[in-house]
Amino acid sequence: MRKFAIACLTLALGLMLAAGAGAAETIKLAVMEPFSGNFKDIGDRYAEGVQYAAEVLNAKGGINGKKIEVIPVDTEVNPAVATRKATKLILQDNVRHFCGGTGSSVAGAMEALADKHNTLFFTYGMAAASLTGDKCNRNFFRTCANTDMQSYALATWVAEQGFKKVFCIAQDYSFGQEAVAAFTKKLKELNPQAEIVGQVMHPMGTKDFAPYVSQIISSGAEVVFTSNWGNDLTLLLKQAQPMGLKAKFAGYYLNDELMINAVANDQAVIGSVGAEIYMVSIPGQANQEFVEGFKKAKGFYPTWLRGKAYAATMFWAEALKKAGNDKVDDVIKAWEGLTYDGPAGKWTMRACDHQVQQPVWIAEIVAKNPYFSHAFVGPAKMVASDKITTPCEQTGCKGLAK
Amino acid sequence: MTSQRPRSLAWIVAVAVAALAAAPYLLPSYQLRLVTEGIIFSLYAVSYNLLLGHAGLLSFGHAMFFGVGAFATAIFLNQIPGISVLAAMGLATGASLLVGLLVGSLLLRVKGTPFALLTLAFNSLFFAIGVKWHTLTGGDDGLNVIPPKLHLGLGVLDPRNGPDIYYLTLVVLGAALLFCWRFTATAMGHSVLLLRENEERMRFLGYNTSITRLILFVFTGALAGLAGSFYTLQNAFVSLDAVSIDMTTKVLLMTFLGGTGSFLGPVLGAFFYTYVQDYLSNLTDNWPLIMGALFIVMVLFAPGGLSGLGQGVVNRLKRAKTAARP
Repeated sequence: MRKFAIACLTLALGLMLAAGAGAAETIKLAVMEPFSGNFKDIGDRYAEGVQYAAEVLNAKGGINGKKIEVIPVDTEVNPAVATRKATKLILQDNVRHFCGGTGSSVAGAMEALADKHNTLFFTYGMAAASLTGDKCNRNFFRTCANTDMQSYALATWVAEQGFKKVFCIAQDYSFGQEAVAAFTKKLKELNPQAEIVGQVMHPMGTKDFAPYVSQIISSGAEVVFTSNWGNDLTLLLKQAQPMGLKAKFAGYYLNDELMINAVANDQAVIGSVGAEIYMVSIPGQANQEFVEGFKKAKGFYPTWLRGKAYAATMFWAEALKKAGNDKVDDVIKAWEGLTYDGPAGKWTMRACDHQVQQPVWIAEIVAKNPYFSHAFVGPAKMVASDKITTPCEQTGCKGLAK
Repeated sequence: MTSQRPRSLAWIVAVAVAALAAAPYLLPSYQLRLVTEGIIFSLYAVSYNLLLGHAGLLSFGHAMFFGVGAFATAIFLNQIPGISVLAAMGLATGASLLVGLLVGSLLLRVKGTPFALLTLAFNSLFFAIGVKWHTLTGGDDGLNVIPPKLHLGLGVLDPRNGPDIYYLTLVVLGAALLFCWRFTATAMGHSVLLLRENEERMRFLGYNTSITRLILFVFTGALAGLAGSFYTLQNAFVSLDAVSIDMTTKVLLMTFLGGTGSFLGPVLGAFFYTYVQDYLSNLTDNWPLIMGALFIVMVLFAPGGLSGLGQGVVNRLKRAKTAARP
């Protein structure tokens, strides 16, 4: 019975394998994202960015004469699921290139997998500093800011604005802790007069922010730093304004159109700032061309996630072009030290830890904008990459031989 | 008839062993990986069935052992420089054995529903430890491992290499499975059965049922830990998934699908689950829904599981034969 079942399934899988083998040779790029569940909207937007990049590249004849085939893979933000599906793609379909942006746990699993099978993984959204820090490996590249860079950029902004009293509120898990620690460290360095007048680490999925908001109000803070995301950000903003909080927020994810839409109260977000490596409002011709092209092709704007994934995919394509083929070892070598001048400024892939060096953009949320009928980001200002970089020797990354 | 049966059994065993030994040469690498996973989950399910099928103890906490084994392997490999893979797995199995001893001694007095609920509570506790003790377990991020090569007298095994990890799993877990099979035939194994059938009578006969239950709990925990250890080794990564309630549900599904009534039932269930999951997840992301429906159908209409169905077919064939003879 067992043998029979195995035989049947082996046969079925074998047939599927054979069916897939006939297609013309392409460069397969698997997009590991949540396409179901709570984080579906994030995965969808990232994938739209990758897909658009592939369309642009394919319209120009692909890379090194090969078309790019994007394979969406639903990770369910579960490392075990991601590992299972990716392993199958590697062993059965010979997929060598992977990307993804959601969930540091998935990133850790994919990093291990990339190392084990010598595949390439690049992330345009996974922010945990450790991924290119003590966990770094040669098959893993990050084309977005890590928590250090994003916190440093916001600290730079807060210091430049001359705020003296700062409050920090974040979710109580590794990401929130890392974000607050990096922000506090950089702010002390840039403006020793600035004072952290209060800090709250609250559990994830908090529903009632009233006690924290009163704490912020009574602390007399002029600005509130937060790395919150998802519902924890929406509810915080939603509840803060009616309670009379005057201080504005400086946050990681304030430039999320879905979040602003969910807050459904423009007054609660106007004047606060967000920081990201890509914003639709970045000045310059390269971004203008990208935004117009995207809008024309898809009918909506390439807001942050889409832009991040697009630029990352284009950067990856540059590495493939430089390598002259899509062999993993060659691409790794070509990508190290490579510079890409895209819609979000100049990006350089640092060889010592595979963490891109790039500017972070800061924008205030304004009422009137060309993108949406609700409030959204105003013109973005650049925080240069050298202001937010962490030197190689301080990243904790060992063993990426030059 | 009696002389024929052992001979045909020997043939079946010989063919099975040969097929298993030749698998890396016959199967594409992804199929080999699935077989390896099937073996790992077989041990996990068999250990669970020793509790459920043999002793009648319904536990909702088996993943705590699996998870402890899995995490301990990663932690030992990462934290102890130069440790060999086998030593790390031995220590990890020891760790889940200790957990079994600790949890088991607290659960000694309860049976039935309180036992089931308490195991669930302990599983949640271990999951919470996994989430919160970030420095040790990596929390949500999980732990990456780079398993070192294993130097045996005859050659070098690289756990990162598909066929190597397959053989390692096959030999070690195959031995563990054989051991479990033998265990059911020992005096201890029989006393476990007695525990299920009539514990009161057992006590009157002079057995210490608490100790029997504890030994069984510790033993099955250690086996699940060993399976977890291989799970980490195969993936070179461990996440909270290994200690989650999902992992407990998984073993429950495997065991019920395969059938609790026989030793091979859970093995069948583990392979069935692994392959069907793989097949279904190709077709739809809602595969757990189908798996759940399958489980309900199985429990309602074939409580004996796949092995029960198989046995039924064999019995019917036999009956047909005897009926046809005169």
